[in-house]
Amino acid sequence: MLNLKQLFFFLVFFAASSLLAQDCQLKVSGIIYDIKSQQVIADANVYSKDRREGTISNREGFFEINNLCGGELHLFISHIGCSPRSVFINLTADTNLVIWLDHSNEVLNEVSVAADQISRSLAPQKTLTAESISENAASDLATVLENLNGLSSLGNGAKISKPVVQGLYGNRLSLINNGVVHSGQQWGSDHAPEIDPLMAGSLSVLKGSAAIEYMGSSLGSVILVEPRAMPTDPHVHGAAQYFFESNGRGQVINAQIEQKAAGLSWRFAGSLKKSGDQKTATYYLRNTGREEANAVLQLEKRYAKKWQTKLYYSLNTSKLGLLRGSQIGNLSDLQLALEQTEPFFTEDDFSYRIESPRQQVQHHLLKASQLFSMDKNRGFELNYAWQLNVRQEFDIRRADRGDTPALSLAENNHFWELKYHSQSGKGWHWQSALQYNLRDNYNVPETGILPLVPDYINREWGAYFRAYKQWSKWAIDLGARADYILQNVAAISITAPRELVRYRNEFLNPKASLALAYEFSHDLKTNLNLGYSQRNPAINELYSNGLHQGVSGIEEGDPNLKEEQSFKSSIDLSYQPNEHWNFEALAFIQPINNFIYLQPQDELRLTIRGAFPVFKYEQSNALLRGLELQANFDPRGPLRVDANYSYLRGDNQEEKIPLVFMPANRIFAALNYELPSWGAWEKLEFQVSNRFIFEQKHLWASQDFVAPPPSYNLVAVKASAERQIANNRWHFFVKVDNLFNVAYRDYLNRQRYFADDLGINISVGLGLKF
Amino acid sequence: MKTTFKLFAAMFAFTALVACSEDEPESPVIPNEEELITTLKWQLVSQDEQDTLNFLFRDLDGDGGNAPLVETSDLKANTSYNARISLLNELENPVEDITLEVAAEAEDHQFFYESNLSGLSLSYADSDLNGKPVGILSTITTTDESSGNLSITLLHMPDKFANGVEAGDRTAAGGETDISVSFTINVKP
Repeated sequence: MLNLKQLFFFLVFFAASSLLAQDCQLKVSGIIYDIKSQQVIADANVYSKDRREGTISNREGFFEINNLCGGELHLFISHIGCSPRSVFINLTADTNLVIWLDHSNEVLNEVSVAADQISRSLAPQKTLTAESISENAASDLATVLENLNGLSSLGNGAKISKPVVQGLYGNRLSLINNGVVHSGQQWGSDHAPEIDPLMAGSLSVLKGSAAIEYMGSSLGSVILVEPRAMPTDPHVHGAAQYFFESNGRGQVINAQIEQKAAGLSWRFAGSLKKSGDQKTATYYLRNTGREEANAVLQLEKRYAKKWQTKLYYSLNTSKLGLLRGSQIGNLSDLQLALEQTEPFFTEDDFSYRIESPRQQVQHHLLKASQLFSMDKNRGFELNYAWQLNVRQEFDIRRADRGDTPALSLAENNHFWELKYHSQSGKGWHWQSALQYNLRDNYNVPETGILPLVPDYINREWGAYFRAYKQWSKWAIDLGARADYILQNVAAISITAPRELVRYRNEFLNPKASLALAYEFSHDLKTNLNLGYSQRNPAINELYSNGLHQGVSGIEEGDPNLKEEQSFKSSIDLSYQPNEHWNFEALAFIQPINNFIYLQPQDELRLTIRGAFPVFKYEQSNALLRGLELQANFDPRGPLRVDANYSYLRGDNQEEKIPLVFMPANRIFAALNYELPSWGAWEKLEFQVSNRFIFEQKHLWASQDFVAPPPSYNLVAVKASAERQIANNRWHFFVKVDNLFNVAYRDYLNRQRYFADDLGINISVGLGLKF
Repeated sequence: MKTTFKLFAAMFAFTALVACSEDEPESPVIPNEEELITTLKWQLVSQDEQDTLNFLFRDLDGDGGNAPLVETSDLKANTSYNARISLLNELENPVEDITLEVAAEAEDHQFFYESNLSGLSLSYADSDLNGKPVGILSTITTTDESSGNLSITLLHMPDKFANGVEAGDRTAAGGETDISVSFTINVKP
């Protein structure tokens, strides 16, 4: 690992020959390697934008460009399935380069001045690069992540959803945005994480057993949203993209600009998104439009050799419409809505209008880091992050109150971290940190409605350590952490007259993990992950009290809930019998004691709006287990086949009933056809893919208002290519989702009670790099 | 650079200290729940003005909390009544009459009356600017003795032009339920 790591840092090294520079007789040559397999890469494109000269690497991975004049030169190296690289050279003599491309779709770690940090984790990791993210430009984060095996999304409507990993979501799954645990109103199943996937350099999922390095309530897996690596080129470069999608007539503009000048690397990126009413196979979904504006500013400066300062600020603002026909007042409204073939309020015409019910959300993240490396093997890192999440939700209300939010929350979050890492002479890597987090959740008193969740201040102190070592066939990664949590809550009683009720809670959450990796042979590798983690009950599980309109039920929290305890084991096996085949299998089992869930009570409670079923937060012992399979066939020709399958089961073991909201099993298969070039076109890729989602049959009829929807099958096609026009590189793509305009509903989408899911969607995209 | 580091370190130490002094959240503002409907009063006056009947549904703490108070009355057979609904928010001081809000948005509201009492008929006695019924006022006529339930539903934003809605059938109306209460009623001789 370490060797590879160092190669990461010295991506390119120069071996200048001693030949005297002659005007316009210079030569640039090199060999291109795959960083993972260490094999040479043939058919890679090498292009100099400034000189308008290019070539393709031969079977030995070798390339050569002759008759170049001296001076500054940008080389752009790209290959199918790889993250392209840009190399800057000041050409004074014949130059020979060694270029490492990452063919595994994983993004290179940013170059760090501090000593090597522990390589991510031995937990199974899957990553989406910026290129594949941008092909889903108009989608939300959870939908983009659905492209990874074992991931699904849960939400309300096609673009308001949160990711689900191995059956867990919301409070039980942490999202790490640039090293900071994303903080927002995670409890709501219709609260999508406020992160624009287009601003990210990569999105990864770590299917781990305990998220040792991160504060927060994860019971194993985490999703990592990483920024792009900072520029190293002294010239201003940038990229711009435009996307259009037919369904919802959505438009996206995305641009970024970056430079490294006088030791300061900077990047600014922004995106604007707008879409209107989405359409199912046959009708428009009224009021499902979306407007978004996002921006990111990144600064990085290195002083001397030992100091480095980083600054990151991102802003995410969105206005999201919810299906008009999905606001209901009581159970009989729901019953009537279920009987409709088209939802109430469906209109014949398309509209960009966003009315109530709607959400307006703003999220700020500011992160400042100071890195100090004492020597090659030791370093400190000091991080501070501030997050502000402002969420307003508007319902249809009487007497012109439509513009008064029904829910208005402001959450301030401050995080401090002091991290130390070192590497001993014997090859052990150590990492440890002290962390402190302060979260202040405040109900803005403008709603005229009793708040759903109370005001509270949550303080959390944490410490962890991790150790990692690699031998020739073995690697071990072990860690432990503890968090002490102090909560001060100020709630309002639900009985009249309204009174103030204060609570004070303390929790102590230990976590521990052990991961082992073993290489039986070059073909066969395995990973074992074991982890214990604990999660204290979330504020809504403790104190929510009252009518939850969205689910037509009265939800009652329980202030006496205890911590959840999870013990997760997973084993991952990968087998590459030859260069054509790759197989991967992952199995996990996760018992969770004191699993907190909403239990329907044997009671209908009478209100002036009719009788409502009562749900209480209760605890029981749950068991989750799953299997994920993946196969890739690459005959080293233009054709490639990928397939994967995921299976998941969740049960409440005490009550002997299935767990609700568990993703259905799914199969995905894709046929890819790739050509390095065709005329002036380069990197041509074609894909036909098929996604089959099984019916969720592991559920009892009494557990839902209506049975889970039947299985469905979606076909998609995609084509993309690149072309050099003048000094710029253009990227084109066309994609058709739900090609056969199938009408379907998804179990994890609450909108399924009211309407079908999305029909056919044609998207086109145009990208430019300069 | 060292100053930056010291600054960071000082910040860390400072906040760690601050963090140790336990702050309670400030007292939240108890919202003025002006929109809440706590009480439905339904008054029936016989057309000969001899009898006044009062029906009441009162739930002072809103959704959830304590159980509501329900009061009902008996109707007389072969009698016609003029009925009037009033909605109140009794949590407010002075008590707020929500009926006025409903009347002001009459085009976006309608009361629906459903009953399994045999021989009981009900007709709307008011209308909005489009000539569609609202149902704050209605007329009730009884025939035989019977007993059963009568439910009153107030819909916000129903499609008042949809099929059957004018006649008091809510099936095609859509909208959200603001009120849904039910009374047990006996029609006596």
